[in-house]
Amino acid sequence: MDEEEKVYHERFMREAINMAELALASDETPVGCVFVKDGEIIGRAMNETNRTLNGTRHCEFIALSQILSTHPISILRETDLYVTVEPCVMCASALRQYGIRAVYFGCWNDRFGGTGGVLNIHSDPSVDKPYPVYGGIFREEAIMLLRKFYVQENEKAPKPTQKKTRELKTDILPLDIHSPKS
Amino acid sequence: MVTPEAAEEAVSCSIERLGNVPRPGRLVALKTKDEVRAALETFEAYIVGVSAKFAGAILNVIRESLPDLKTAEFQHLRRVVSFEYLPQHLQTRFGIIRYPESDIRDETDGFTALTRAEIRYLLVSPITAISQSGLIEVLAKKPPFLDASALPAVFTIPVPALAPTSAEQAAQWTRDFWPISYKNTNPYGPHPSLVARNTADIEEGAGTYLALAEAAGEQISELSLGEKVGCVIVDKTGGDEQIIAVTGDCRWQSRNGGPMKKEEPGNVMAHAVQRGIAMVAKKRLRVAGTNPESISSSKVFCDSPLTDHEKHFYSLDNIPPNGYLCSELDIYITHEPCVMCSMAILHSRFRRCVFSRRMPLTGGMTAGVGSVQGDGSTAVVRNVSGLGHGIFWRPSELNWKFLAWEWIDTDRLDTYLEVKDTLQA
Repeated sequence: MDEEEKVYHERFMREAINMAELALASDETPVGCVFVKDGEIIGRAMNETNRTLNGTRHCEFIALSQILSTHPISILRETDLYVTVEPCVMCASALRQYGIRAVYFGCWNDRFGGTGGVLNIHSDPSVDKPYPVYGGIFREEAIMLLRKFYVQENEKAPKPTQKKTRELKTDILPLDIHSPKS
Repeated sequence: MVTPEAAEEAVSCSIERLGNVPRPGRLVALKTKDEVRAALETFEAYIVGVSAKFAGAILNVIRESLPDLKTAEFQHLRRVVSFEYLPQHLQTRFGIIRYPESDIRDETDGFTALTRAEIRYLLVSPITAISQSGLIEVLAKKPPFLDASALPAVFTIPVPALAPTSAEQAAQWTRDFWPISYKNTNPYGPHPSLVARNTADIEEGAGTYLALAEAAGEQISELSLGEKVGCVIVDKTGGDEQIIAVTGDCRWQSRNGGPMKKEEPGNVMAHAVQRGIAMVAKKRLRVAGTNPESISSSKVFCDSPLTDHEKHFYSLDNIPPNGYLCSELDIYITHEPCVMCSMAILHSRFRRCVFSRRMPLTGGMTAGVGSVQGDGSTAVVRNVSGLGHGIFWRPSELNWKFLAWEWIDTDRLDTYLEVKDTLQA
């Protein structure tokens, strides 16, 4: 990725990080995203699983619902996604079914990532066209946002575990540790 | 708030009134990804035939010579087996060999005929642990093979690489490969007794819920708003059963509410499972005293009830307000859910999942092994390969797991619930 391209992608990932920060301030899992067509942001959202009591209301779904309320579905074939954390298996499949052009993300998700972190839903055999993914843009910031969230109490979860003794760790392992599993 | 008794009556009455006829059939638990792998993976192993009285000494010399051999990795394979316990094809293969006996030397060739009862077959190691000539050298260190006066008979056979997951599988492998021990556990999936208990718990109602799911899909399809795919979400934790949500696929509904032009893929987020999960969430908000419509939600999610079935079950306040997502709930679906919906079920912490028609090209639940079709007496294994994701049970990779079954309709025709092969259900 040359310098000009890097600046282009970082501009949109910065917008996604802003949405993740908003999520953190709203007691939602700090993941944010923007969808971009022709250099314009056509949708932006943060996770809303806690507020909606719906575990599928990831930021990608929220932003897609905004876009599709004013645009035809076919616009997604010319649209790229910038998301702070790798799309989960569910979102990775939704994006592929919708025909997304490309996905750029911050950090990998080794618990349920769908574009390399755990599974490879973007490129596995499927009836739908595969899409390219690019990870690692502002990776450290994306990880720090998640860590800040996990030292807070998640009151919506059953049998809340005591997290007061948790420390906010600030060391971030080199990239190869968090690289895709396969 | 409807009392549980009244709600139950309303549910059962309404199912009858709606003309719901339960599907006849039975449940078949899905194989997990690891079970599929365990059922297919084999390695080649050395077998040596020897008189029973030398078996221990031979195993000792092998242990000394192969200190790195991890016998714990093939604990499921019996180490010492007598002739009568060999599978038939190995009895045939090994039976013609004569075995050396050092203290009763035959004058001519050093061999004497052992009776079959005296022979033991030792599983030495995977062939990757030592070369065959190396093994023969090792064996020659001890009687009866001392000084290579009598060469050991070494065979190579395939054996299952991983432990069996049920007594039936152990028995099958014992017939097909080599005697297997089964420790009544299943390291690759849910314990057989857990599956049996849950199958017994849900099998009576499953045909009813699948028929209702089918009707839900048909109702929306008749409006040209979706594919004939439906789902039913049930709470069976109490003594009574509560139908929490009934939804059909709504991918062809346009922004203005009417049908849209059917250009693939349609509105992916309006699959029946997505709508069902959304309606559970809205009911939880409602019983907790929050107006679900006050939580901004886009019409694109199609999460309001459309048909009579959907409206009826959505209107019942029969869900506890303090539940977490869809934990403790069961979901019944007409078709194997796509990868997106399979993962949505996992994210929502469902307890159990049953689907009717497999979707080999798009389904996310099955782990990609042949399914059993037909009733018990005429069962034939039809190899339907799938994508192999097996999303319901991958506990080492995904952060939730649940039990999943395929429903085998007793009088199913191949056309039952037929949809386009490439449909994402």
